[in-house]
Amino acid sequence: MAELISGRQLRRLATIGAVAAVVVLYLCTVGLVEAFKDRNVVTGVITLGAVMLLAVPLIAGYRAALPSRDPSAQTGAAQRVVLGLLVGLIAGAVLGVFVLIASTVDLRGVLVRISPPLLEFISFGLPSGLALLVITGLGGLMGALGAALLVSPARIRNAVTSALIAVLFMSMIEPLLRPRLEQLDYTAISDFLYKAHGLTEVASILCFVVGAGAALLWQPGNDFVRRTVEAAPFQTRRRIRGWAIALLVVAVLILPQVSGTFLAQVAVLVGLYLLLALGLNIVVGYAGLLDLGYVAFFAVGAYLTALLTSPDSSLGIGLPFFVALPIVMLGAGMTGLLIGAPVLRLRGDYLAIVTLGFGEIARVLFESDALRPWLGGVQGILGIPSPLPVRIDLELGATHIFATGPQVLYYPIFAFCALAALFAYRLSNSRIGRAWNAMREDESVAEATGVSTVNYKLLAFALGATTGCLSGALFAVQLGSVFPGSFDVFVSITVLAVIILGGMGSIPGVILGAIVLIGLPELLREFVEYRILVYGAVLVAMMLLRPEGLIPNRGRQRELHQAESEEEVETLDGDLVPQRSPS
Amino acid sequence: MSLVSTPRPRAAPMTDVILSVHHLTKRFEGLVANREIDFEIPRHAIVSMIGPNGAGKTTFFNQLTGIIEPTSGTIEFDSASLIGMAPHQVAELGIARTYQNIRLFANMTVLANVMVGRHVRMKAQWYEAVLGLPHVAREETAVEKRSFEFLDLVGLPRRYADDLAKNLPYGHQRRLELARALASDPKLLLLDEPTAGMNPGETRQMTDLIARLRRELELTILLIEHDMKVVMGVSERITVLDYGERIAEGTPEEIRANPRVIEAYLGKQATA
Repeated sequence: MAELISGRQLRRLATIGAVAAVVVLYLCTVGLVEAFKDRNVVTGVITLGAVMLLAVPLIAGYRAALPSRDPSAQTGAAQRVVLGLLVGLIAGAVLGVFVLIASTVDLRGVLVRISPPLLEFISFGLPSGLALLVITGLGGLMGALGAALLVSPARIRNAVTSALIAVLFMSMIEPLLRPRLEQLDYTAISDFLYKAHGLTEVASILCFVVGAGAALLWQPGNDFVRRTVEAAPFQTRRRIRGWAIALLVVAVLILPQVSGTFLAQVAVLVGLYLLLALGLNIVVGYAGLLDLGYVAFFAVGAYLTALLTSPDSSLGIGLPFFVALPIVMLGAGMTGLLIGAPVLRLRGDYLAIVTLGFGEIARVLFESDALRPWLGGVQGILGIPSPLPVRIDLELGATHIFATGPQVLYYPIFAFCALAALFAYRLSNSRIGRAWNAMREDESVAEATGVSTVNYKLLAFALGATTGCLSGALFAVQLGSVFPGSFDVFVSITVLAVIILGGMGSIPGVILGAIVLIGLPELLREFVEYRILVYGAVLVAMMLLRPEGLIPNRGRQRELHQAESEEEVETLDGDLVPQRSPS
Repeated sequence: MSLVSTPRPRAAPMTDVILSVHHLTKRFEGLVANREIDFEIPRHAIVSMIGPNGAGKTTFFNQLTGIIEPTSGTIEFDSASLIGMAPHQVAELGIARTYQNIRLFANMTVLANVMVGRHVRMKAQWYEAVLGLPHVAREETAVEKRSFEFLDLVGLPRRYADDLAKNLPYGHQRRLELARALASDPKLLLLDEPTAGMNPGETRQMTDLIARLRRELELTILLIEHDMKVVMGVSERITVLDYGERIAEGTPEEIRANPRVIEAYLGKQATA
């Protein structure tokens, strides 16, 4: 062993193993495993709780087997699988020992989540000595599998990964898909796919095969597509992007027609946050002004709308929504300037703190008793009429458009999202976007180069505020009422998280971030309690593993990964188009 | 002031003074960084300012570009006073600069850096960009094309255009900074130690480039330099600062022979 594994590798091994062990213990003690231990993934075979526990050594094994940065410590495939195995064993052993301790000593006084059912679940109901062995073994197995996945050829790795994701995905969307299928009288399909809220064995095998098959078929094609797109002239690339956007638009258009009300409701929430994120992206992503009080604009938009449109508000004028909207947006822009002006001279951390304060001031004002006669205090403002009929039932030739509840506002919200995205895209690729970016990079040089930093900061604040207010306005009419409680600092943090997760300054990134961070937790209702915890974990993980976000802004990606791939810089110096031998 | 004089041709003012500074003083608490400096640059000249470290050269630069406001004195550029102007207004009037320690927009592409330099000469407003008006796109294309020409001018290969500025080799970063400054069509170019950190070969290339730029773009150039060889070779007139005061002004030959300069500048170097 001494020749096989160097001291440095041993340290790395111990670190990864320890991290995996801590994560596993954390998942158990915090109650996540317990919450998901009865949610079937494949009914009678595996539950989501087990998937979570097993995924940790799998990922740890994968990471342990990653080639080390130290070129002197080159390792063979077999040796790397051993590394994965060891890491998995460490994680498994720690969990096993923990179960052993927990079943002999009562830890529930301190760790309330360590319940007997949980322990029974983890130890498979085996006697503790045997359970320790089995858990350790399972950990090792998963670690080795993770490592094996890494050392196996890319085709197989992709096939297995996408197969697993396909199974997991199909089982996760059960709460959406099954009721809808039954509603549409496809009971046979739903019975074939699902049993007791999980996939049936046959269906899971089918999903696995389809997932793997799709990856295998797609993989060479995918590579081909990517190469072609990259090598293609500007015009063709533009056309491809146009098609992608068209596809997205069509998907957004038909979604509420095929989905049930629940999914439409989730989509509406995603849309509202997407709008917020697109606005904040201008301020933070483009102009580099870290605004932690963005919720203030959301609140101003909602309250202005409530004041202007609700007959029950203190103004009581009850304007129609689309008449009120321009006034709201104008007011929003003014608010942006009002908040922007005093913080013009602040940079970085100071700006963040001051805006954080502004956000809180806004919330406290809306809540305050002093302003109660106008803003309604804690009770908020009720009776905001919906801008559209509560129920739409249209017969247009062969197509039948039906919408009710949240679906009614679905289209306006996404129309505004599309507009905001288009505007942001145009700005980012113009003189204005460049000036913002220059300001983000070096404010005084930008100023000396001719960018009026005062004007451009105010512009960023005003445009960000307008977008945020628009989202607030739609939020108000969607809910029919506004309460100060909806506008706490957590909204600001969530929106910022969406941007960071997706990729700062990248519009596709922001869209994906909103879907992942807002949409997914709604689909996993069991998560609700752990939502903030998971946000935190996701953010930490993202910052460590992929700081540029899921879909990075092209420039930033190169910057952040530059250190890891020196060869890439060299190829950039040389030929831009890699030569491909015709085979 | 002859009354019968015919209107002077437009080219005539080209021989006059583009920048004139009178009694410029900058005091920082207790320290006088610039004391009563008088300074002139004839149009189309290459003029240098030299002096030991801490002589107040960069403070002088920063006052010209509006970054710091003078305590007293006047600065006139092309018969407009620069006192009280914000840096971006100075840039718009036609003064561009580079920095002693290169300051690029590191995480923007090479091309975008040059295009930011062109910012003051572009007209698109934010609402026009939002609406996607055709003249915005036309301007964008034209500026992109022009920016490539600036890259050519400073000798930065076009294949770097999409790379991040921070990934460029050092010499190219200097060139990019120069291209960014030139992109604003300046009348006066301020170069703060343009050959700092360069080897003799690169230094020679840079001085050749500076001379060529003046010729081709009809620029006026003010240099701050440490390297005496660069200064003597390229500049027509030299001003020497020491302890915030102007101690000498003249042609390279005069400066070389000036005993005060030798004492303050060269003498110090010799003893160091």
